Amino acid sequence: VPQRKTREPELASSLIKKIFSHYVKMPVTRDAFKIVKKCSERYFRQVCNDLEAYTSHAGRKTVEKADLEVLMRRQGLVTDKMPLHVLIERYLPLEYRKLLIPVAVSGNRVVPCQ
Amino acid sequence: MISIRAGMSACGDLTVLLGSLQRLKAAVHYTVGCLCQDVAEDQDVQFSKQTIAAISEITFRQCENFAKDLEMFARHAKRTTVTTEDVKLLARRSSSLLKYITQKSEEITSSHTEQKEKKKKKPIAVKGGRTGKQEAPVTESEDSNMA
Repeated sequence: VPQRKTREPELASSLIKKIFSHYVKMPVTRDAFKIVKKCSERYFRQVCNDLEAYTSHAGRKTVEKADLEVLMRRQGLVTDKMPLHVLIERYLPLEYRKLLIPVAVSGNRVVPCQ
Repeated sequence: MISIRAGMSACGDLTVLLGSLQRLKAAVHYTVGCLCQDVAEDQDVQFSKQTIAAISEITFRQCENFAKDLEMFARHAKRTTVTTEDVKLLARRSSSLLKYITQKSEEITSSHTEQKEKKKKKPIAVKGGRTGKQEAPVTESEDSNMA
């Protein structure tokens, strides 16, 4: 019986590798990927910390879309010239975009219903 | 247009000559100069005029970012008034800075409660002092409210 090790949840390293090599457009050594993986772990920790602060700042206990927008604004990703919608449209696949940005579909319905 | 006006009020009306932005910049420049002098005496170094000018320009532009972020944080918490909580959130990036700011804000709130107990009227002064910037000394903001 293969014993499954209990370890911290993390993004699949193949996925990180795929995303990273998609953007760098040049060869990357194995060690460099290891560092990228470490950095992404640290990134998640930091982001979760920030989101916690922003959520409790707004007097809530549940992280909402507004908290994420504040975070991305602080990171300089969302600005007045670059709204969140544009980033969603640019970087997320269609099925996720449908969930995040309301679109009108046949039958006079708006998805997702608000 | 400006030169004509300046010529007309030759007695030296600086407020007309300088725009409000220029006046703010001048105020920042003066304060930066004072702070630099303190550091210069403390550390035994000299600041060139250009360095002081550069620091004041950086400070001025940094205030733009601070103002935007504070506004965003206040709006996020469904407030229209910036409070110390927003300022603390602004300083979260650096843990040592956060520690310093938190300590300062505690000092301010404790001094406010003392003053509140002394005279229970004038709740406006307390409110105004709270919304003021962290750097502003308590006494100064109090004075401006009294006046």
